[in-house]
Amino acid sequence: MHPNADVLQGTLDLLILKAVSLEAMHGWGISQRIQQFSSGVLEVNQGSLYPALHRLVKRKWLEASWGTSENNRRARFYRLTAVGRRQLASETATWRRFSAGVEAVLAVNSAAN
Amino acid sequence: MAPLARAFHRLRERLGRVSDEDIQDELRFHLAMEADQLERAGMNRDLAIAEARRRFGGVDHHTEELRDVRGGRTMENLLQDARYALRLGRRFPAFTAIVLLTLGIAIGANTAIFSVVNAALLRPLSYPDAARLAILYSQNPDKSLPRFSVSYADYLDWRAQTRSFSGMAAGTGASLTLINDGEPLRLSGLSVTGDYFDVLGVRPERGRLFTVGEASTVAAAEIVLTHDFWQRQFAGDPNIIGRRLRTQTGERAVVGVLPPSFDRDNPGVNAITVLDPATIPDAENHAQHLLGVIARLKPGVTQAAAQADLAAVAARLAEQFPQNAGWSANVFMAPDEATRTLRSPLLVLFAAAGLVLLIGCINVVNLLLTRATLREREIALRQALGAARSRLIGQLLVESGELALGGALLGLVVAYFVLRVIVGRAPAGLLPPDIGLDSTVLLFTLVLAMTTTLIAGLWPALAASSPRLAKALRDGGRSSSGGARALRARRLLVVAESSLALVLLVCAGLVIQSLRNILAVDLGFDPAKVVTMRVNLPGPRYTDTTQVQFFRDLQTRLEGRAGIEGMAAANTPPISAGGITTNLRLIGTARADGGKVMGPATAITPGYFRAMHMRLLRGRDVSWTDAKPTIVVSQAAANAYWPGESPIGKRVAFGLRDTVGCEVVGVVNDTRARGLTVDPPLMLYFSYSGATRIARTMSLVVRGRGDAAAIAATTRATILEIDRTLPVYAVQPVSQVIDASLGQSRLNTALLSIFAMVALTLAAVGIYGVISYSVTLRQQEIGVRMALGASSGNVLALVLREGGMLALAGTVVGLGGAYLATGLVQSWLFGIGRADVTTIAGTACALIAIALVASYLPARRAARVDPLVAMRGD
Repeated sequence: MHPNADVLQGTLDLLILKAVSLEAMHGWGISQRIQQFSSGVLEVNQGSLYPALHRLVKRKWLEASWGTSENNRRARFYRLTAVGRRQLASETATWRRFSAGVEAVLAVNSAAN
Repeated sequence: MAPLARAFHRLRERLGRVSDEDIQDELRFHLAMEADQLERAGMNRDLAIAEARRRFGGVDHHTEELRDVRGGRTMENLLQDARYALRLGRRFPAFTAIVLLTLGIAIGANTAIFSVVNAALLRPLSYPDAARLAILYSQNPDKSLPRFSVSYADYLDWRAQTRSFSGMAAGTGASLTLINDGEPLRLSGLSVTGDYFDVLGVRPERGRLFTVGEASTVAAAEIVLTHDFWQRQFAGDPNIIGRRLRTQTGERAVVGVLPPSFDRDNPGVNAITVLDPATIPDAENHAQHLLGVIARLKPGVTQAAAQADLAAVAARLAEQFPQNAGWSANVFMAPDEATRTLRSPLLVLFAAAGLVLLIGCINVVNLLLTRATLREREIALRQALGAARSRLIGQLLVESGELALGGALLGLVVAYFVLRVIVGRAPAGLLPPDIGLDSTVLLFTLVLAMTTTLIAGLWPALAASSPRLAKALRDGGRSSSGGARALRARRLLVVAESSLALVLLVCAGLVIQSLRNILAVDLGFDPAKVVTMRVNLPGPRYTDTTQVQFFRDLQTRLEGRAGIEGMAAANTPPISAGGITTNLRLIGTARADGGKVMGPATAITPGYFRAMHMRLLRGRDVSWTDAKPTIVVSQAAANAYWPGESPIGKRVAFGLRDTVGCEVVGVVNDTRARGLTVDPPLMLYFSYSGATRIARTMSLVVRGRGDAAAIAATTRATILEIDRTLPVYAVQPVSQVIDASLGQSRLNTALLSIFAMVALTLAAVGIYGVISYSVTLRQQEIGVRMALGASSGNVLALVLREGGMLALAGTVVGLGGAYLATGLVQSWLFGIGRADVTTIAGTACALIAIALVASYLPARRAARVDPLVAMRGD
């Protein structure tokens, strides 16, 4: 995968949920966390990050509140809700099945080549 | 942030709503963090901020996108759209002005008529539970009298024998003369049974009303005043209760004052007294029809059931009493009766105003479509940039909604002035006094504006936002095929509005012609310079003999005065819709009915025909010296009662018991005594002198040479000279009485004509708009034609023909509509058929002529086109 590749449509929600599963984070922190976890492979398009965050809040998977950032700026923090946690579990499972499937297909193809 | 604002903020947060401010704050935080990181990597602060912004790609754009995700953006979109629409309105001032004016006039007309409908039809009576109040009438199907007054004897039997009513009361008009220090004052009053107010459900504002079962001598000395009269005559004196009023017929104590709502339902009434059966002449006689009867239906009883109940009782009475033979009874609901005269004209005018609104809407649709064409590029661009169709439709609807709201505001102003005209011109007592722009009316206007928005805005919005338009961008704005399609639709619209306008024009034309016919009617007398007034000679001071003597004396004195030509008295005014209809028997006739007829009759004093400028065709006038009443008949009566014979010397009896009758001594020309549009009645004039139990209230007619006021003053002075206690009232020039009787006709005609003119103007504007549009679209074609040798005259004719054809098509469709609509105004027509060819052809020609005028401007523009410029396009 090309470095700095945009996060696949649909997987962004999963990545966000995963990123905030350990602690409440602000938007910028989430984008940094995803980049860091993926060892710089995945870069979150900032233009889609915030719409996604607001969407998840609306679905009640995240909840948002204002707080103070590590360098004393006013920032909006996102935290996983109980619903979000269940969603994360099910999406993770789905993703695993999906990527295992894709992996299997690719393995067959390379064998044929 | 202020604490309150912070609290509000938190509340919104909890509700999942995020304010714009929050979104901006969050994005700003993100940018700051990004810039911090870049700065740490060695970039200087300014560059870092710029780079962060670049990476992010525009805060505004993201804010917009976030709003979309966040939801609940409808309100903000609405505000944004509304602001945009206002800006747009200022960008196209002429467009905005025309639309606002169109909607203002159309909504104003509807609001004004609705105000009248609201006051007159929707809340006709203010009595509690008025829906169960009924008015009972005697009816005689053979004589086609559905609403005849009731005899006291019948009333007593009805009340005793019916089971459908929780109460039944009776009353009759009764006037009183109040003797003050100055000139005597005539009160218009009612005389009612003791339970009258209980049946109506009216409670006093002060004191008490009548007590049922009170000794009649006590009750007869009581009087109840209306609120209005109490205010006017006694300046709202708080100590009015118990005050004794001196009247011509004795002293009466004020026991109560009625609430203001009673005045609304009974305009003009001053005072109410108790009806004393002892004073009713011939009270046991079932044929003595003189009372009005009201009743309240028991809960759960329908009008039909009450009708059946009362009709059964009336049928029994018809068998029991010979005077009741042929008579039955009717139950009509009071609210229906109260609105009977107004309902049909108001609904016609409401429909006419509705048509005007429809035409206005069509024009606005046309204008919006035109503007949408002008904005094609803007809209296409927005679509290309991803604006959702629903969002565009919403925006366009907000635009038309704003226009409709502006139109509604303007409409309220228009309605205010139209209402003033209506109320000012309506004959007194026709409309309830509390017509105005109240909350119901405002609600109506608001609903109307919203409906207008949907009707006028939806189609243009759908059309403008249609994906087809995206093509417009590619066409570079010259979307000829879309333009042609739009043109077809808009031609149809113009045909529709022309046809609606024609419907209104035809109706207005017929009604105007009718009014003209009414005004040209031969009255049979000359109303100019004749003043009528009423005078009452109270018993027992005046007897049959002294009454006659009074009028003879008055005539002698008056006719010697300067400025007076003639004077006489009659017991009905020269022109009145009611009049007196009585049982007559033509003696010695061979008719199958034995000569028993019901016909109009009036007592007169000698000189009546001379004073009215009527023509005595045969025989002589009645005379002061007639020992027994003599009769003069109208030409129509002579022809109907004694066809082919001379009526002179024939005898007519009044009532059934008289066997001798009175002699006919003369024939006089016909008059329109029952109203201008009513055929001359078969009138019998019988002499006042020689009659017994003659009417105490008489109408004087005085013909003079000066103005009406001078004639009235001389007459009044002469009357007071003879008897200082006699009130003279209802003083009016006869021409004014006639004018007042035309009031409603004039008002209807004026309103309908105004609506028709507005419709015609709107149709002309519509035709102008479409032809202009068409000329613009066909500019290239016209250029080619001219280059190929067509003259300006040819082009002019080409365009004019297009406008003429539209109007012609509208006329053809409209004639069908007019055929249906004229049925509604048929009852207003006089001396003209609803399919009057001259009127219909005239209005059709007018419509087409106006269409040609409206097409002329764009036609001239087209004819002046420079072919080279036109062919190049743009």
